[in-house]
Amino acid sequence: MSSNDPLELIDQYIDRVRVYLPLDSEDAVVELQTHLIEEAERIGGGTMTAGSVMMAIERMGDPKRVAHEYAGSGEKVGPVPAEYVNPLSRMLIVIVGVALALIVGFTMVGGSLSQLAGIENWPFSIPLMLAINLTIFIVIIGGISLLDRSKPLTEKTILESIFGIGVEGFKPKSRFDAGGDLIMGIFWGYFLMLPVVVQLYTAEFLSVALYVVVFLFLGAIRGALFYIGGENNFNLAVEGIISAVWIVLAVSLIQVGWPIHSVYVFNLGEWQIVNLVGFFTEYSIPFLPFEWIWTFIMFVTIAIAVWRIIVSSMKISMHVRAGRGVWWQGNWGKRRRLRAPFWKRVIGDQKPAQDGTIYHDGYRDSQEST
Amino acid sequence: MSKKTQEELDRWSKEVKRGAVTLAILALLSRRRAYGYEAVKLLDEKMSFLALEQGTVYPLLRRLEKRELLVSEWDYDDPQKPKKYYAVTKEGLMALGAMTQAWSDLSREMRDVIMEVE
Repeated sequence: MSSNDPLELIDQYIDRVRVYLPLDSEDAVVELQTHLIEEAERIGGGTMTAGSVMMAIERMGDPKRVAHEYAGSGEKVGPVPAEYVNPLSRMLIVIVGVALALIVGFTMVGGSLSQLAGIENWPFSIPLMLAINLTIFIVIIGGISLLDRSKPLTEKTILESIFGIGVEGFKPKSRFDAGGDLIMGIFWGYFLMLPVVVQLYTAEFLSVALYVVVFLFLGAIRGALFYIGGENNFNLAVEGIISAVWIVLAVSLIQVGWPIHSVYVFNLGEWQIVNLVGFFTEYSIPFLPFEWIWTFIMFVTIAIAVWRIIVSSMKISMHVRAGRGVWWQGNWGKRRRLRAPFWKRVIGDQKPAQDGTIYHDGYRDSQEST
Repeated sequence: MSKKTQEELDRWSKEVKRGAVTLAILALLSRRRAYGYEAVKLLDEKMSFLALEQGTVYPLLRRLEKRELLVSEWDYDDPQKPKKYYAVTKEGLMALGAMTQAWSDLSREMRDVIMEVE
């Protein structure tokens, strides 16, 4: 459903354009966004309203056409029409990338390929099955999408929602997230070195704990670099290298196993150290989940690291092809909010609810009833 | 004007515009740097015949940048509206000089030819 927040309307429209753009189009996306804001402000006489934004968007036109004006219409590839080459290529990359990340993660945590019962010709069958199912899905959804042609320009069609798979994964890191990486890297690096925490480590983990701390500080440096320079080849290379370092470190960590033997528990007005295995034994809990949890954590982090290496390498090669150097002031992505910010939920949205359809001249259906 | 004449005019205008737009953008940006929206509005203001829209200007700016006739720089002063400023490079200025000369020659010769016809 379309929002009435001007910036959100622009975001929604830009997301539709992004679906049809090649992966290396972040500059064009930001330029389009600035253009729409300025045009909406001009139309609104210096103030941006939902109505002025809708007018600016309507002037810009159909997202697919806008994307092709910016990126060129490209060429038809096999049976795929030129305008769908970019979204389908991105989806294919995502499918292969995710499959690769999962395969590497699964293999590294010691998973035997034969453990995936019932799946023949592993690992090739997984991306193939995904691709076949997705194709069937697209054909069905393509038919359904004919029904949502009357949606406003800001609202994605069902087909675009499908074609938009993977768009999020290729967006640059937001400045907020980069700052978060910096702060959390320093915090966790420092936290893991505290004597009160160190005494909880198993002997095996203690031998590699310093490497983990160094890795966390490296993550903080990566955050600082992205915070300062946005996305550029240097920062992407750092991200790729750090992810590779993590995969190497993960090999040791998998061997080390669950890293702590005890936890702190606040009992009878004081902090006590409770042995985890002892606790499970005392209460006759037959299943010790720690190695499973650790394996799962390592699997997820390795899969993410592989995905980051894939994305970084692709982006670097795209930037190199575009003739860019090593360092430049790159862009930051926008932080996606899945729900209203906490402060808005607490104090409530001060803006009155605006219902009804917005027309190109800023007029609303709801105005008619008043 | 007949429909046929209008069609011919449209076709001819399109061809003339295609050649003129690069020169117009280089000339505009040689005087001062500008970001995309600014360039679109300035061109719209000064060049009504070209009737340039953002769909023409932005891709052209990117192509000229790729051909090293323009150089760009991001300005993040307003984080809500980052602006990509374009300026003409040394190569761009040289190309502009050559284009301007060619355009002047063409205009003069065209004027002479048209005067003869009139």
